[in-house]
Amino acid sequence: MSSLAVLLIAIPLIAAFVSILSKKVAPYLLLIASLINVILLFYFVPDGIVVIGGYDLPYGINLFVDTFSRTGLGVVNVLFLVIVLLNIVEFKKYSSVLLVALAGLNGLLLTGDLFNLFVFLEISGIAAYLITTSNHKPLATFRYLIIGAVGSSLYLFGLIIFYGMFGTLNLMDMVSFIQANNVDPSALVLPAMLMFIGLGVEAKLLPFNSWVKGVLKDSNTLSGPMIAAVYAATISFVFGRIINNLLTLAFVGNLLIVVLVLLAVGIFIAEAMAFASTKVREILLYSSIAQASIVILLFVNGIVLWAVYLIIANALSKTVMFLVINKATKDHGDDESDSLQGVFSKNILVGITFSVATLSVMGLPLFMGFVVKLNYLTELAVGAQWALLAVILISSIIEGIYFVRMLIKLWYPEKNEVTVKFDLGFKVVFVAIALILLALGTYTAPLNTLDNSIDTIAEVIDNG
Amino acid sequence: MKNLIAFVLSVALGVLMVLSLTNNDWFAQFGYVDLADRVSQSYIDKDVTGNPGEIIFGITSNPENGAANIVTSIVVDYRSFDTLGEVTVLFISALGVALLLNSQDKNKRLALNFKPNFMLRVGSRALFAIILMTGVYVILHGHLTPGGGFPGGTMIASSILLLYLADDQFRTKVKGFKLLEGVAGSFYVIIGLLGLLLATYFLQNFLPTGTVGDLLSAGVIPIVYILIGLKVGSEIAGIIDNFLTEEEVSL
Repeated sequence: MSSLAVLLIAIPLIAAFVSILSKKVAPYLLLIASLINVILLFYFVPDGIVVIGGYDLPYGINLFVDTFSRTGLGVVNVLFLVIVLLNIVEFKKYSSVLLVALAGLNGLLLTGDLFNLFVFLEISGIAAYLITTSNHKPLATFRYLIIGAVGSSLYLFGLIIFYGMFGTLNLMDMVSFIQANNVDPSALVLPAMLMFIGLGVEAKLLPFNSWVKGVLKDSNTLSGPMIAAVYAATISFVFGRIINNLLTLAFVGNLLIVVLVLLAVGIFIAEAMAFASTKVREILLYSSIAQASIVILLFVNGIVLWAVYLIIANALSKTVMFLVINKATKDHGDDESDSLQGVFSKNILVGITFSVATLSVMGLPLFMGFVVKLNYLTELAVGAQWALLAVILISSIIEGIYFVRMLIKLWYPEKNEVTVKFDLGFKVVFVAIALILLALGTYTAPLNTLDNSIDTIAEVIDNG
Repeated sequence: MKNLIAFVLSVALGVLMVLSLTNNDWFAQFGYVDLADRVSQSYIDKDVTGNPGEIIFGITSNPENGAANIVTSIVVDYRSFDTLGEVTVLFISALGVALLLNSQDKNKRLALNFKPNFMLRVGSRALFAIILMTGVYVILHGHLTPGGGFPGGTMIASSILLLYLADDQFRTKVKGFKLLEGVAGSFYVIIGLLGLLLATYFLQNFLPTGTVGDLLSAGVIPIVYILIGLKVGSEIAGIIDNFLTEEEVSL
């Protein structure tokens, strides 16, 4: 049954519709649906093209399961389940919203149709706005809503122009049409840039990311990791898919330089902002903006494999970091790094896992981040992208300084005591993720086996 | 100053778009697109899976898609998965309204600042029935004439709004709407899954499509449209109730 992938969307969706009938049952439905999704994904869903409605490509809508989308689905569904498990008691009333979010995120990762992608962008977007209402900062949520809506409209606008030009909405069909007819890249500039900006809003690229600060600096244990890890990973995967297949056809010559400069400047500014911040959550959110820009930069340069690993490494690290800090802030009431001083001196285990996650983002040896960073820097050097190499190296130094400064503050106690208690569930998750980061940092065989299986859609079709 | 910069930027973007599109060979002028090699032509000819010949209203029987309304044939058959998504967009929006306004059955409804007289109350009830029936008609004939589940559902909700505005005692049972909404939504997904089980693909039409133009034709399309109509109607009626019974909550 190759159509089983559609259940990854249908099951959370039907659970969401049923969940509004009873507030008591809703949290259980959320747990069951997200668990079933993980099981389905790892044991039952085969690779291939899933036709929907019985109409073949390019007439009907199709889902696309290959190594790329499967990797994305794995990261997103597992982290989603973990975050839900940790928050289900406190955020019961968000159960239905989270179910719709899960359906939307899986749809984004699976779909091979560009308009269908817009529909899922809307679904997961509205769900994200509602998840951020748990921050109790209506103005920041409203800003997110407005900017997000404008962003997805720009994506739609770009898609409309593409449709007007080539008469199809299917990604694969459109790409093969463009390649077969040798369409001049200059004809693709406008729609490609509109799509880039539209997705850039959700992917937190500068200068389209003014919503991020308001949403993440007051986040909690649900909205923080959800937006900074799960949503960020999903959008990066989707963005990577679009860049890797469609937008690279337009990104040549001057436009490529413009896009690369935009991304490089974004990395610098975000690292500088993180350097200037004293609040721990602001440091984390600016660092995740910088990391998101690096991911997109790698995709634009065609370094797909290491971009994927960078997404995974970041999603894992950011889950730990936002969970730790948001829990600490909730108990302590403030996330100024001065006032959280010495929080880890009483929570040594949590401190170690947080440090592992941070050092991995910095790219220190022994951790997954190092392997990833080493490899993508090598690839950039092989491609003779010296300017980009320099940008990433310099920003790494800035990153190193502010992260080490933050870690020292959090480890060494001052006069006033900070007491934060982490539940067993949190600790288990922290330790598990830290071990994964450590394992993949020292034993890299699993990373290498995936090496050649990530192709563009066209290549997947050609190779069967 | 901020506004001025925004204005200049918007105008510049607009000019850029117009210039870029007029110099673009691939972007045909309005009315000059060659439809022959486009996906959309097959939706009109209904020849995606095989050639049915010319489609004639009232005569052609059992084509791949039985809807006489071309828009419906795309929305609820060829691209039904998108429509399931759009239904979900409305669902999550309604859910958000209820979540943010903290709606509960026990909340008091908004008071009118006038006393509705007898004529208004009776007259609105008569109108209610007419609007409701029009909505039902539009839903049931969605596969034949312009209309369908979304506009029909909105009409049903507007009849409820009329009662709210014309009668200060009126209050719907939100629980009932919730039930209708949840059940209708679930059945849409279930119909999709039945397609997977009885035919081969998710959301595939598994009923005979009949003669184009008959009321009972087009397979699952009328069923799906009835479900969408019920869902949209109850959702928007629920949103109306949420707004009219809003209670202040501290965010």
